[in-house]
Amino acid sequence: MIDLVTDLTPICALGGTVARIETFGGLTITEHSDLGLASLALRKGQSAPQPFGLTLPDVGQAVSKDSYGAFWTGRDQWMIEGQGQGAIDFAAAVRAEAPGVTVTEQTDGFTAFEIASAQGAAPIEALMRKLVNIDPKALGAGQTTRTGLEHMTVFLIRRADDRLVVIGMRTLAGSLWHALAVAARRLED
Amino acid sequence: MLIPHPLLGLRDSQEFTYLGDAALMNRPDPATPDAEAVFCDYVFLRDNPAGVHRELWFHEQGDRSWLVVTRDTTTHEILGAELASDVKGAAK
Amino acid sequence: MTRLTGGLVDRSKPLNFTFNGKSFKGFEGDTLASALLANGVQLMGRSFKYHRPRGVFAAGSEEPNAMVELRTGARQEPNTRATVTELFDGLTARSQNHMGPLERDLLAVNDVLSPFFAAGFYYKTFMWPKAFWEKLYEPAIRKAAGLGALSMLPDPDDYDKGFLHCDLLVVGGGAAGLSAALTAGRAGAEVVLADEDFALGGRLLMESDLLDEAEATAWIAAVKAELESLPNVRIMTRTTVFGVYDHGIFGAVERVSDHLPTPGDNVRQTLWRITAKRTVLAAGATERHIPFADNDRPGVMLAGAMRAYANRWAASPVKQDSDAIAIFTNGDDGHRTAMDLMAKGAKVLGVIDARADAKAFGDYELFAGATVTGTKGRLGLSAIEITRGGQSQWHSVGALGVAGGWNPNVHLSSHHRGRPVWDERLLAFVPSPDGPKGLIPAGAAAGKGGTAEALQDGMAAAIRALAELEITAAEIPLPKAENASAEQAAFWHVPGAKRAWVDFQNDVTVKDIALAHKENMKPVEHLKRWTTLGMATDQGKTSNISALAVMAELTGKSIPETGTTIFRPPYTGVSLSVLGGGDTGPLFRPRRLTPTHYWAEAQGAEFVEVGQWMRAQYFPQKGETTWRETVDREVLAVRSGVGLCDVTTLGKVDVQGADAGEFLNRIYSNMMGTLKVGKVRYGLMLREDGHAYDDGTCARLGEDHYVVTTTTANAGLVYRQMEFAHQCLWPELDVQLISTTDAWAQIAVAGPKSRELLSRIVDEFDMSNEAFPFMGCAELTICGGLRARLFRISFSGELAYEVAVPARFGQALMERLMEKGADLGVTPYGTEALGVLRIEKGHAAGAELNGQTTAQMLGLGKMVSAKKDSIGAVMSRREGLAADTRRLVGFKSMEPQTQAMAGSHLFTEGAAQTMDTDQGWLTSSCYSPHLESYIALGFLENGDTRLGEVLVAANPLEGQAVKVEVVSAHFVDPEGGRLRD
Repeated sequence: MIDLVTDLTPICALGGTVARIETFGGLTITEHSDLGLASLALRKGQSAPQPFGLTLPDVGQAVSKDSYGAFWTGRDQWMIEGQGQGAIDFAAAVRAEAPGVTVTEQTDGFTAFEIASAQGAAPIEALMRKLVNIDPKALGAGQTTRTGLEHMTVFLIRRADDRLVVIGMRTLAGSLWHALAVAARRLED
Repeated sequence: MLIPHPLLGLRDSQEFTYLGDAALMNRPDPATPDAEAVFCDYVFLRDNPAGVHRELWFHEQGDRSWLVVTRDTTTHEILGAELASDVKGAAK
Repeated sequence: MTRLTGGLVDRSKPLNFTFNGKSFKGFEGDTLASALLANGVQLMGRSFKYHRPRGVFAAGSEEPNAMVELRTGARQEPNTRATVTELFDGLTARSQNHMGPLERDLLAVNDVLSPFFAAGFYYKTFMWPKAFWEKLYEPAIRKAAGLGALSMLPDPDDYDKGFLHCDLLVVGGGAAGLSAALTAGRAGAEVVLADEDFALGGRLLMESDLLDEAEATAWIAAVKAELESLPNVRIMTRTTVFGVYDHGIFGAVERVSDHLPTPGDNVRQTLWRITAKRTVLAAGATERHIPFADNDRPGVMLAGAMRAYANRWAASPVKQDSDAIAIFTNGDDGHRTAMDLMAKGAKVLGVIDARADAKAFGDYELFAGATVTGTKGRLGLSAIEITRGGQSQWHSVGALGVAGGWNPNVHLSSHHRGRPVWDERLLAFVPSPDGPKGLIPAGAAAGKGGTAEALQDGMAAAIRALAELEITAAEIPLPKAENASAEQAAFWHVPGAKRAWVDFQNDVTVKDIALAHKENMKPVEHLKRWTTLGMATDQGKTSNISALAVMAELTGKSIPETGTTIFRPPYTGVSLSVLGGGDTGPLFRPRRLTPTHYWAEAQGAEFVEVGQWMRAQYFPQKGETTWRETVDREVLAVRSGVGLCDVTTLGKVDVQGADAGEFLNRIYSNMMGTLKVGKVRYGLMLREDGHAYDDGTCARLGEDHYVVTTTTANAGLVYRQMEFAHQCLWPELDVQLISTTDAWAQIAVAGPKSRELLSRIVDEFDMSNEAFPFMGCAELTICGGLRARLFRISFSGELAYEVAVPARFGQALMERLMEKGADLGVTPYGTEALGVLRIEKGHAAGAELNGQTTAQMLGLGKMVSAKKDSIGAVMSRREGLAADTRRLVGFKSMEPQTQAMAGSHLFTEGAAQTMDTDQGWLTSSCYSPHLESYIALGFLENGDTRLGEVLVAANPLEGQAVKVEVVSAHFVDPEGGRLRD
């Protein structure tokens, strides 16, 4: 793997040198700054590879294995995730695992906010009801979708009943955090 | 409205961008002698029926697929939805 | 005080409030209307047109009269119905639509003038002279005829929105709604139960009916407790489902904090978008009245409302307990009111029943075959005239209840144009069978208003709805209940010579309807607009059917033949604040920040909104007093040294696949497939109609890997259009598209010293002109190993590059370039300088690529390749476009310090300035510090052959005419040597 050896200091999507984390009652929102992301698309006639041993999931599904994951983003298209892989050339790592398919670096294209509930599924579902027009009951653990959130396009991944990841465009990180934080704060009241 | 996405099921129309008449998929052959006239029809003339219409919707806040949605414009009843690439592929 | 015994108010929780400055006491559980009645206040407002004294007429959201201005200061809200305003401690309310005190309204003179204000009055009277309408008539009418006033202050409260999904939405929490919700809840279905009231129970709260031989509240409490215990049921009180939209989508407003003095940290209201697979419409019914002479005095109200005030709120409708109450009815329902009032100890004069064969239900005087033909009392009812068999007699009463039958609340069932159907047995319209798909009316809303039948119907509706979803729901044990007699006669109004009000809110009388009929405004749609009947905040909930009946009588047709009005959303008024919802000000919409945003902020940059983006506009330095001074400095720094500009906002689309080159050949007008790896080419996209669409660069990074850049403004649109071309036109091509706009921070490094600066940060990369010439691109590392992309492209006309790094390093890269270039005079520049530089170079941008121009006009005609087809190629050759001789050229002000504004039109000197003599127009204009003169770009007829000519740039809007010389659009380095060396 090709580490990004440089003396330049990166900043997080929200502008800080360290990732933001904030707790609102039973919900904690964490800026996930070291998630490696690369899009993977099949070319004509290719069959799905198994990068990092992952079986690329079907429509609306997300899978994970060790520190890697994959979620469906479109027909013959997935996003590959590498936990703790944000600082490397993750696309190159994926390409090495899946030669011949189309891979595009996306680590810096997005910002991931991990939302964890200390009180089970209910706060996560209440938050979803304030933010996205997606039925929380139809987005159970291991499911993913892409939708609109306050006029921004986001990926939602329900990692578990009590954990939701919202992945949005990096340049919109501030607005996305604001939307999540306001909704979470109101649920506290 | 709810659009019955062939892969994702019912999705709110707010996730979509509307384009209109699916005849836009039938881009004419540019090599024919009357190409200019045929293109003129293709670009400027659209059916706008009061009733069943095949139209293009783009799932922009979703999986970014273009759909051909068959919709009754008088009742908003949706009779079907297909992936445009499948429709086009089947036509070839 | 006229407080009765019992009721559902909590006497242990007294609340203080004021009405028109006077202090009163009420209890928790009261509405403003019930508390006022219980304090003996009948007069609550003035009517819309004639300023007649008015009292409360109904007990729910259908109220036409008792509208108040609630609260003070920025939270003052006009047109609030006292009948649905929950009392809270410290509530302040004022009556509205009067000049001077409510009791002595100076505008009551309108009532004396009422013969002049008949139906269609505005249309007939104020039509001439036309110019007077806007200046004179309308302001005067608006002042005199109106409702409450706005505070004119910004709304201080927060609003929210949300989304719900359910199997079954139950609209209304009365007998039918509760039984439907419990049936579905026990079956495990996802249920949303919404009711506009703050308490569940609906009409059950207002009646004295027993359920299982106990007070109905016991059953309601048990059901509520069970529903609350079910995780699949969501109870939403204070929530009005106001509209039905396509495919089971409903709009609802939850009044989260309206019952509190202020919302505190909470939001005031929430707008819910509910997606329901099936819906039970259990919205109940609304009582109608029977118009008779002078029927609008305070103290005259719906009999069912009177019953509700007595039973639920223990409030008597009279000013003092000694005042008698009479009931005027056309059916048995009026008698129930008399019985309930007597049970509460109120003094009942008797029941006037229009039916000759009417029978008394209890020990009160019955006036069978009689009608009410007149009333007295200036600010409140004091007497009524009862007429029977031609004999009339006045009786002292303090209140009169009017029972004209019940109209099912069909509103939501007709939001999709389903026309309600006349039921001759019920003498009412019931919901159309062609209502919204999946919506099942039940209970009183379906014409099944008896308690027993409503309970049964709600359960049956839920079972039926869930069966359609393949959810099996079992019958639930229903409490023992009865159906009160609903016998009534088709008696619609009392004929007479005096005014009999039909629509109280809009002051429409039986005579107005007769006049509309006479003037041939017979269809209900015309009747409504000619008389204003059924308009404004109550939308005719208590008046529409009576009006139809009167019109039917006049036309000699049946009521269903006469027609019916259907309803549009909203069911009741919805505040614009809650529809707008969410954030205001800078948080109003999402903002995209560039990777160097925080750095630019720290430099003191001024920002400009470009679509969603915030871009640095310019970077003022100490001592600079005008933006021009700053921009001139930035421009000159680029031309003489090196400047830095964040250009991340340009759209970037990654194009890969075996057919990527072929795909790009089809979407760009020029050839792209022949581009060599490691090269960049300028590209032009057309729309299929042949006009220029967007421009940018295309870089080939690998054999089957390209990166397309778009303009900032069109980034999303071009990406969408590329997906269209891929999926809808040529899915057979092996192409994969994905946006990478956000992934790469891209910085323009421009100016003669840009190579020198960049060579200080690249890792072993040959920057020489030979190794990396103009229009080259490369993937490399910089700053000790950071992967980057380098493009040798120029927007300014100078030697220039764009360098891209992963977005997180954008800020650090900017800082490093500033540090390494300090000795070179490196200067950050913003969008203003960027604009000046490109105008000086004659590069087209948004103002030139505005969708109305062609490649030829832009001087890019050769970029439309004749060797291949591409989007727009065929149509670009059509006669109308090909023959266009306007060309993009430059213009220089003859007086260098005088600006010719963009948008100015070009004329020959001395020529009349008309459409016929128009020679073209200016698109972009700026001061060029390089030329020390104002310059412009524009389109001119045969412009390319007219260099040196002097024209007039006319801006008639500002009375401006500036002499300009036609010059090459390339003000700087027309040979292009600078960017190639």
